[in-house]
Amino acid sequence: MPAAGPIPAPRARDAAPGAEWLRREAGRIRKPLLGAALLTGLLALALVAQAWLLSGLLDQAVFAHAPLRRLWPLWLGLLLLALLRFGLSVGARRTVFRAAQRLSQDLRARLLRGAQGLGPYGLRAQSSGELITGLVDGIEAILAYFARYLPQLGSALLVPALLAVFVFPADWLSGLVLLLTAPLIPLFMTLVGKAAGQASERRYAQLRRLGAAFIEALGGLVTLRQLGAADRFARRLDGESEEYRLLTMQVLRIAFLSTLVLEFFCTISIAVVAVLIGFRLLWGELHLRAGLFVLLLAPEFYLPLRALGGMRHTRMDALAAAQHLSALDDIPSAPGASLVRGARAPLEAAPEIRIERVSYAHGGRAAALRDCSIVLEAHRVTALVGATGAGKSTLLNLLLGFAVPDGGQICIDGVDLTVLDPAQWRARVAWVPQQTHVFEGSVRDNLLLAAADADADALRRAAERSGLAAVIERLPKGWDTPLGERGLGLSGGELQRLALARALLRERARVWLLDEPTAHLDPDGTRAVEAVIRAAAATHTVILVAHRLSAARSADWVAVLRDGRVIEQGTPRELEGSRGAYADLLQAELS
Amino acid sequence: MKKSPGAIFNAAKPRPSKGEAQEAPSKKSPGAIFNAAKPRPPKGEAQEAPSNPLLPPVLRRLLGTLYPYRGWMAGGAALALLAALAAIGLMAVSGWFIAAMAVAGAGGIVINYYTPAAAIRAFALLRTGGRYGERVVTHEATLRGLAGLRAWLFRRLIPLAPARLSALRSAELFARLRADIDALEHFYLAVLVPAAVALLTVAAAVLVCLIVLPAAASVLLLGALCAGVLLPVWMQRRAAHDAAQAVREGAALRGLLLDALRGHAELLAWGGVAAHSRRIDALAARVDARRSRIELLQAVTGGAVGLFAQLTLLPVLAFALTAAHRGTLAPSLVVMLSLLTLASFEVIAPLSEALAQWQATLVAGARVFELADTPPAFVEPDSCAPLAPAAAIVFEGARLRYAADAPWALDRVDLALAPGARVAVVGASGAGKSSLLAALLKLYPLQEGRVLFAGQSVQALQGDVLRRRIAVIAQQPVLFNLSLLENLRLAAPEADAGRIECAVGLAQLDPFVASLPAGYDTVLGEGGALVSGGEARRIAIARALLQDAPVLVLDEPTEGLDARTAHDLYSALDAAARNRTLLLITHRLSGLARLVDEVVVMEAARVIERVPVSDYLARERTARMADSGG
Repeated sequence: MPAAGPIPAPRARDAAPGAEWLRREAGRIRKPLLGAALLTGLLALALVAQAWLLSGLLDQAVFAHAPLRRLWPLWLGLLLLALLRFGLSVGARRTVFRAAQRLSQDLRARLLRGAQGLGPYGLRAQSSGELITGLVDGIEAILAYFARYLPQLGSALLVPALLAVFVFPADWLSGLVLLLTAPLIPLFMTLVGKAAGQASERRYAQLRRLGAAFIEALGGLVTLRQLGAADRFARRLDGESEEYRLLTMQVLRIAFLSTLVLEFFCTISIAVVAVLIGFRLLWGELHLRAGLFVLLLAPEFYLPLRALGGMRHTRMDALAAAQHLSALDDIPSAPGASLVRGARAPLEAAPEIRIERVSYAHGGRAAALRDCSIVLEAHRVTALVGATGAGKSTLLNLLLGFAVPDGGQICIDGVDLTVLDPAQWRARVAWVPQQTHVFEGSVRDNLLLAAADADADALRRAAERSGLAAVIERLPKGWDTPLGERGLGLSGGELQRLALARALLRERARVWLLDEPTAHLDPDGTRAVEAVIRAAAATHTVILVAHRLSAARSADWVAVLRDGRVIEQGTPRELEGSRGAYADLLQAELS
Repeated sequence: MKKSPGAIFNAAKPRPSKGEAQEAPSKKSPGAIFNAAKPRPPKGEAQEAPSNPLLPPVLRRLLGTLYPYRGWMAGGAALALLAALAAIGLMAVSGWFIAAMAVAGAGGIVINYYTPAAAIRAFALLRTGGRYGERVVTHEATLRGLAGLRAWLFRRLIPLAPARLSALRSAELFARLRADIDALEHFYLAVLVPAAVALLTVAAAVLVCLIVLPAAASVLLLGALCAGVLLPVWMQRRAAHDAAQAVREGAALRGLLLDALRGHAELLAWGGVAAHSRRIDALAARVDARRSRIELLQAVTGGAVGLFAQLTLLPVLAFALTAAHRGTLAPSLVVMLSLLTLASFEVIAPLSEALAQWQATLVAGARVFELADTPPAFVEPDSCAPLAPAAAIVFEGARLRYAADAPWALDRVDLALAPGARVAVVGASGAGKSSLLAALLKLYPLQEGRVLFAGQSVQALQGDVLRRRIAVIAQQPVLFNLSLLENLRLAAPEADAGRIECAVGLAQLDPFVASLPAGYDTVLGEGGALVSGGEARRIAIARALLQDAPVLVLDEPTEGLDARTAHDLYSALDAAARNRTLLLITHRLSGLARLVDEVVVMEAARVIERVPVSDYLARERTARMADSGG
């Protein structure tokens, strides 16, 4: 094992944030936890009283031959204590559960915000299957930890101590046996638990990988079938499932080993206590009542510890989940995602957008924009053309505020975009992305995303102008047809219309950012959409990313990008006449 | 020795056949998936065939699934029983021992204390060892039984895509595969084992009481019935609705979270982040409220078991003490009986928790089996005749629609493509171009007519054999979170470096590969998220070329590419399509003449004409000139 030396140190550091984070979160439900501990303490006292009454009853009735009728206060006491214990146990459990559930709700919301704080660029590099496993199953693991494990931990610390206080006066020898064995249990459990913790982390990581692999395989099932690779993929999943099973068993075997130690100590010491009491009763060194009292309490002494041992996996799962989730908690918000900046966008009319020497690179890849400058004038359709990867879509993303330029600035009517309030700015922007995401919900829900307050009239108008109306007519439930993931059931062209309808619905927008709005459309559809875009130019600043020059030809202004720079711009007619890059592209398209 | 996961269910097939017959009437549509999950269907409908309420079909099916592992499972349950009996024995013998010793001490009687002391030690060891063995064996049994279930279900889903799965979102499918099977894990561990152990242990305890003091036995039996049967059943009834809904809403929650993450850019742009978060919060709050109600029931039931234990103890004591006063019962046995009674309720306590899982398990099981039992759109033939290398494609009066009430997507389409033909299919979006492809690839069944591939009806061909002969570059190519090399090899696992580089070169992917940090080993991110649209397209093209099929179908291959790149790509595709039948689905006219010889025009689900490409382009150019002129 050549690399054994440096590995443990980083692992220990890695594990710490999860545990530390859990502790911090637990601090927020301190009061309910303390309240539950108080109730648990009362519960233990009721138990002591019950054992005392029961041993008294047996002693008096069996050995003192007291008539049953005279013992009625003991009967009544036992009955009342049983009812009291019932109430206390329900109360203790509810106190913590409700608080822990509220905390888990907060956590889910906060961590989702954290994940979204990565911004569109950051999220694209994340596996959403893994994130969802964390946000649903991870949070559930943490809820179980707060609601079950922590109260049990409190009870394991408190109850044995309380019981010992009462056992000692009754029989010091049994008290000593209990007291000596009790610390051995957590000691051994900690030793075994160390190894289990690491195994559990691996298991959780494997579980997340499994989740991600499944969601992906399902999403691409048709492609896999077309490639004849579905069976091979299934075998890959077999392997992953098998690995998960082996890891789980590995974790469980260690966890059970710790339970074995626990069971061994508590069972053997109960047996020892029973035998010791028996012999001293025989020798007349102990009173029966005291002996019975101790025997009744002995299993209860270990019960909380045993229950805690049974919950070891709860803690391990929570720790592993915490490690994953705490990473979401301290993600610095992506620039432009949640920064609250004051300035209002002066956007009653279509603005002039000035892009000045902007450079940008994302995710360590080569710069997508270098020193890019262009003026996007109001009431004008500006088409951005150029080869794939020239920086056209990146420019749109910067305009949407999904990322902040590394250098240079973008000015909206002279105001730097980075000082504008992003929400207000985006409220005035309508965007047709290259790949439209279809949300769970009906066609109507999917449109209302762009303007939640739009009425039926506005919806119909947007659908008609975008050509979506014809699509809706064909759908089985019209406007109420639920749309599947990634627009299952909608073709590329239909998705395009959906995206355009969203943009049209946002009537207050003064800037249109269109990423290939006519891709996937046939000539008729293209002509119709181009007419819509032309009409919009009267009141909007329109930026159009175009791969097809026919779309660019109807623009007022064309900028040709190459390697993140504007290398040529002018009206389409001018550029057609010149012998520049645009003319080259046009030549290629018409050939 | 390793059994294939498929075998799990093959072996189980004969057993649940009765259950399936009962299920059949409720299987109407994909929507019926949820019918089985409804806790109580509206009354008044005709009673279905006699069904055992204690053994619903889902349960029988589940038992059938676990049948091959019965050895492991029975062993685990036996060990659990041993441990439980030892635990009760330990307390009962200890109580008897102490009391007997006290009596002996008080009366100065000689007593054989070796036997009980040894019994106490033996019980202690049995309990310890039994608990460990039980846990290892039961978990091994569960995991063995269910390890392959996910992959098995995935295999069952393969033939269902896309024709039978389009109504389901993959987030929900995912929830089924993962969460439902997780829920099924609880069936053996948390339902079967505790129930069996409780039943047998209580029976043993009652038997002991019966010998010692029959009156106490009846009280114990009554108390155990109340705590172990009535209480859990009451709880299950109260929790059933919430439990079933929580499973369903949990799946919906995953869908919403997926939207929040995958659709984040659009939510941000449209200002919908907060509103979507509120939707998530509202649904999460609903699920949490249900969970909270279930938890309350669990807390009450858990506490009530303890209460029942005490309430049972008091009459047992009363009977025992009365008997002792009469002298018909030894004093030491009074103590033994009380401890036996209290200890018996320890095996009853897990029952309430177990039955909380019960409903969730049934719902999950119903969904998993319903999904797995969805008949595929095609019944694949067991074998098919070898295909001729030259692949003629013929559509004969093909009619296709996606739902009974949907309009025709293909309406009596007749089309014949000779081997080596190069044809473009053009038409408005929704004209049926993609449906043509779906029918050819045997992804959706035709309602009328047929499609012939190399002279054989695709119906008679195995889908996989057919699809291996047709390389497709889809409109939105799907890439996987694997390395570039693995993504390419999906189409041809055996392809060597030379072939891969050749395909990459043809697809003009070299500059992209060179730009990647780890070259071919660069992982492309979920759904190929880390590559641009154009790059993804070219990867898909390279993948299709690697498949080396006699038929090449291009579905808008240059969409999303700029003119220069598209131009280059067409020349590459031209070379790639040499000696192959080429079917190009497009609405982009530029470059068409270089790739195809003929154009098939589709309109409203029909083929309306088939013309030489030069004629078509000339006509379109004229129309376009007129358009831009006017």
